[in-house]
Amino acid sequence: MKIGEHELKLIKRVDLPWWNAMIISIISVIVALILFSLVFVHSGVNPLTGFKEIFQFAFLNRNGLPLTINRSIFIFLCTCAFIIPYRAGLWNIGMAGQLYAGALGAFGVMYLFGAKGDPNLYIAPGIGIPLMMIGAMFAGGAIGGIAGFLRGRFNVNEIVTTMMLNSIGFWFISYMVKEGGPFMNPVGRSESFDLPLSVRAPLVFGTPFTIIVALLLAILLYWVFAKTRIGYKIKSYGLNPLAAKYSGINPQVIPVLVFVLGGMIAGLAAYHYFGAMPGVFKIARNYAEFGDLSFYGIICGLIAQGNPLAAIPVSLLFGGLTNGGRFAQGKLQMGFGVDYALLGVMMITMVVLQFFYRYKIVWIKPEKEISDVGIIR
Amino acid sequence: MPTENQTKEKTVLEARGITKRFPGCCANEQINFAIKQGEVHAILGENGAGKTTLMNILFGLYQPDEGELFFNGEKVDFKSPLDAIEKGIGMVHQKRKLVQAHSVIENIMLGHPNSGKILNFKRVKKEVSELCEQYGFKLDLDAKVWQLSEGQKQSVEIIKALYRGAKVLILDEPTSALSPPETRNLLDSIMSMVESGLAVVPFITHKLPIVLEISHHVTVLRNGRVTAKFATAGATEKSLAKSMVGREVIIKLDKVEVERGKPVLEVNNLSAYNEKDHLALSGVSFTIHEGEIFGIAGVSGNGQEELADVLAGLRKAASGTILLDGNDITHDSTLERWRKGVGYVPAERNEVGTICDYSLIENVAMNYYFEEEYVPRGIINYKSLRQLTESLIAEYNVATPGPDVKAKALSGGNLQKLILARVLSKKPRLIIVNLPTQGLDVGAIEFVQNKLLQAKKDKAAILLISGEIEEALSLSDWVAPIYEGKFMDIIPWTDAERDNVGAMMAGMKPKVESL
Repeated sequence: MKIGEHELKLIKRVDLPWWNAMIISIISVIVALILFSLVFVHSGVNPLTGFKEIFQFAFLNRNGLPLTINRSIFIFLCTCAFIIPYRAGLWNIGMAGQLYAGALGAFGVMYLFGAKGDPNLYIAPGIGIPLMMIGAMFAGGAIGGIAGFLRGRFNVNEIVTTMMLNSIGFWFISYMVKEGGPFMNPVGRSESFDLPLSVRAPLVFGTPFTIIVALLLAILLYWVFAKTRIGYKIKSYGLNPLAAKYSGINPQVIPVLVFVLGGMIAGLAAYHYFGAMPGVFKIARNYAEFGDLSFYGIICGLIAQGNPLAAIPVSLLFGGLTNGGRFAQGKLQMGFGVDYALLGVMMITMVVLQFFYRYKIVWIKPEKEISDVGIIR
Repeated sequence: MPTENQTKEKTVLEARGITKRFPGCCANEQINFAIKQGEVHAILGENGAGKTTLMNILFGLYQPDEGELFFNGEKVDFKSPLDAIEKGIGMVHQKRKLVQAHSVIENIMLGHPNSGKILNFKRVKKEVSELCEQYGFKLDLDAKVWQLSEGQKQSVEIIKALYRGAKVLILDEPTSALSPPETRNLLDSIMSMVESGLAVVPFITHKLPIVLEISHHVTVLRNGRVTAKFATAGATEKSLAKSMVGREVIIKLDKVEVERGKPVLEVNNLSAYNEKDHLALSGVSFTIHEGEIFGIAGVSGNGQEELADVLAGLRKAASGTILLDGNDITHDSTLERWRKGVGYVPAERNEVGTICDYSLIENVAMNYYFEEEYVPRGIINYKSLRQLTESLIAEYNVATPGPDVKAKALSGGNLQKLILARVLSKKPRLIIVNLPTQGLDVGAIEFVQNKLLQAKKDKAAILLISGEIEEALSLSDWVAPIYEGKFMDIIPWTDAERDNVGAMMAGMKPKVESL
């Protein structure tokens, strides 16, 4: 494109420094917000008011912020469940199924303790809580491992198997908690029994302790991928399976490993929501909504480019927007689905602007000197 | 030599002052040359000399930063390959760009402007077979492309370009995947194309004899600039090599005599299947001793790749045994073989030998990630790996700004040096090298071959798989021509003759002299 004597040109990037990736992501958020203003205008709401409501509730409100954080932890864990297979070049679309399995694993442990129908049962929290977490991770990992095994051993496409396992998970959890199911709540309908008071998760500054687990996990994963042999093997397999095989990395083991790990973390997300969230402490009736929410792990993982540390702010943003969007929708009396629409627009802009991960725009001045244009260097 | 007659002929394609810069380097700087009708004008250069960039500019894949292209005296500005094709530029890439599952004729029609309208197979077939006849290509137009040999596939691409109306034919490393008889046929075809007024521009890194044989003019590139222009009649192999590399190059290697040691690799009746479940390797047996180079000469696709893969543990043996230093390793995993001293330099440098998005350090780690010394208790010691990489870069003259550069930034020759450095630094007992010098320039070939001879002196056993008879003969102690998964013979180098080996590579039975 020519502007006077100057020329704008698209050039393929050689590499992408992390701060550029960050700037591009921030720009795509801004573009999404601008585009989304149209929705507000269409509904007769001043966009500035609308966004003020969303962000104020999500990040500044005393009631809203804890909700945002809880939701973000959930999304973050789902993101990690996506990232680990993603680094091995594999797509985990099965967070929902692994999540349901994880929920059943955690509550299965309590069921074995005889917690069903006895909220006052005493189980030492130092034993009960870790066992629930292990149960959740075990069940999630087992479901994930099926997809990984089929991929590694028989080269069955993991996207297909994880999707199918989602469906199995969905109906299995329905069977377990709905009318007549073994985990059915004796009082309520279509949800599981309540956790005994003794094993309800401790809070740290008003947030479930799983926040610490999540933050440690981010650091641990980052370190594993940056510094360890196992991380190196996973990355090698992801970047070039043939070269990985050539250098002695077992191509049957890596898919199993990453899917078991991913499934375990999805199980942990289930524990966080159903076992540690204040006010829940059961497999709540709206579990399928959280199954759907787990899919945001995919988009967050892609935006974070598989980097577990970058996934923290991204999950926080998405957690906040779903939360604030739902609030603003009620307060401003808008139609259903403001939160989903906002996230949808954001996903599109983020994916579209990822174009600049691979290309950059440069100014060409008349004297043929090439100078990069500010941000999208 | 340009005769009176030729100089009068029209210049078809001319480049004036072509300059193309890439971040941090200048791939082409002020390149000028002109190609006339009915002329073969070879472009010669080492890897990284700027050949590929120039080729891509001529074909419209890149636009030059400076300079102009003229086609038949008219200034042209190729925005994409389509513009170039429409003007009459045909390109045959080194990597085949054909639809494997389609027939030859379908591939030729694909992308032709008339094929979208009415598919008149009959007419196209007639026209194409006339073209084939005119230029001496023997092709079954109804055969599926996957059934063809590499040479035949290349012919399909040439015919495709000609059928599209190419006036200038650019060939990228045209002889690199061909057997000697196929090369002969190609050269004959090029001659007849030239006679009918086409201009042919082969881009070549080595194979200087071929350059001398077929071209009228040679333009030599080095570091992105034209360093020499020859009328071929006045050039010799030595003078070409010198202007390519910038120094004298030893073209013939001296034989290195090493005392034969213990047997290292004993292969007994080994067979293997390929991806299509055909028996690609059927019952080969041989032994390699310490300090020996065992050369397998063959046109690619005759089972040598499968042999290398089976020995490296990347493919299962269908039958037979492999002994390394007397221990059976037939069922060992790839990793166990690396640990026991098998080193493998694969032919596919980019696809298998390296991970292009990894830095050089991480690429070196491909052979070291399982060593406690560099990865104590599972945690990678990047500091010591960096030191190792730096020392390998220095020892093997890998041209790179530093060890943190991604492997995809390296040229083919430097990548090969890096792989070789990484593998040889482990002092393997058995070194398998598949096409170690394919696509490399003269300087890098010399370097790689010397490193192999050095390893031989260090008492390694070396299995050299080569598509080039000269290389197999000049380096090996034993030469085994391979054809359709079987060794035609195993000959000591003293008895190996070029023509005889070449004939066996093409499937001829060994000559039995006395009986």
